[in-house]
Amino acid sequence: MKIDGLHTVPVSPERAYEALQDPAILAKCMPGCDHLERIGPDEYEMKMKVAIASVQGLFGGKIRITDQKPNESFRLLVDGSGKVGFLKGDGLLTLVPSDRATEVRYQGDVQVGGMIAGVGQRLIDTTAKFIIRRFFESLAKEVQ
Amino acid sequence: MIPQSFEYSAPTSLAEALALLADGSAKALAGGMSLIPLMKLRLAAPEHVVDLGRIPGLSYIREDSGAIHIGAMTTHYELESSELLRRRCPLLAEAASNIGDVQVRNMGTIGGSVAHADPAADYPASLMALEAKVRLIRSGGERTLPLEEFIVDTMTTALEPGELIAEVIVPVEALGTGVSYQKMVHPASGFAVVGIAARVRRTNGKVGFARIGVTGVAAKAFRALSAEQALAGGGDINAAAARVADGVEANSDLYASAEYRMHMARIYAGRALRRAMGVA
Repeated sequence: MKIDGLHTVPVSPERAYEALQDPAILAKCMPGCDHLERIGPDEYEMKMKVAIASVQGLFGGKIRITDQKPNESFRLLVDGSGKVGFLKGDGLLTLVPSDRATEVRYQGDVQVGGMIAGVGQRLIDTTAKFIIRRFFESLAKEVQ
Repeated sequence: MIPQSFEYSAPTSLAEALALLADGSAKALAGGMSLIPLMKLRLAAPEHVVDLGRIPGLSYIREDSGAIHIGAMTTHYELESSELLRRRCPLLAEAASNIGDVQVRNMGTIGGSVAHADPAADYPASLMALEAKVRLIRSGGERTLPLEEFIVDTMTTALEPGELIAEVIVPVEALGTGVSYQKMVHPASGFAVVGIAARVRRTNGKVGFARIGVTGVAAKAFRALSAEQALAGGGDINAAAARVADGVEANSDLYASAEYRMHMARIYAGRALRRAMGVA
């Protein structure tokens, strides 16, 4: 499934880029993130608790950052799984300066499988965007 | 499938239920039309379920000084078949009659549906168009919120831990108001791919009042303000319907892409408005 969107972070592209690669900030802003650890250059291991409505799922997985063009763009590869299903994602994040803030655009492809995809197909896109929106809202507060 | 084991309480008074729910760790069960399937699939595994079904006095539809109060445990069937609602607030009765299937309408409740805040549920379109309010209770207090503030995001509401919906409050429809709920049904789930609720009133042949609620299209139900303005400002139905999803980021799934959903929102808005204005 294709997914894209745009969020504004109220800082310069330099600061936004730095924050988006900072495991401490990512762990703090990612909704439900329990644990984020660096396991190699640009590679992280993560545990996340997703709680939406009465659905709760624990996911564990890896995040890899590649194709870095400092202050401009980078690629994010996500591979996670839990009891309720699995998730694979590949997204390009582009940072564009805009009037003392930075517009972060994401474009990617997400694959969700297992139980959660079977019964929740209708809500995957909405939920993914909801989590990303929450992330950028906390990020905006965190970097200010 | 069989759910994971959980503790089950069936209190017989509201005070008892609120006390059990007070620390926020237990999950309230109303009609169970969303929670039970999720538990059986083990997507939800609450440790403690508090069944509200044995508490008397939570199921009612009554009129009181210009408003209709609907108890949270009132079933969709009771709403759709209520003579009072059909006469005094027909839009909500129409929305209720569009939910799921007969079995779901006999078990599911308006409080449960509103608290679940599914972005494609039927009620929110009508409740937005009706500018409905929800009254919330907790041990030792209550508050009333407009639905627009109550529904925060996808499946996320302003309910605090320990709080329950007591009732939904809608206005008595003014004389001469035309209403309609038009829904494109998702064939497998019965949810709204697109659902548009319209209320229109004419003064001297012109539209002086328009309220349009939209469900299924975005992360949460919303009022189509620019379409309302276009209509009340003297625009025709098509021009207004074309603006129903202005500025909205539409959902996308295997069944309907965002573009298709936006298009269908405009088509169904046209239908709802034509029906409401009696020119269908």
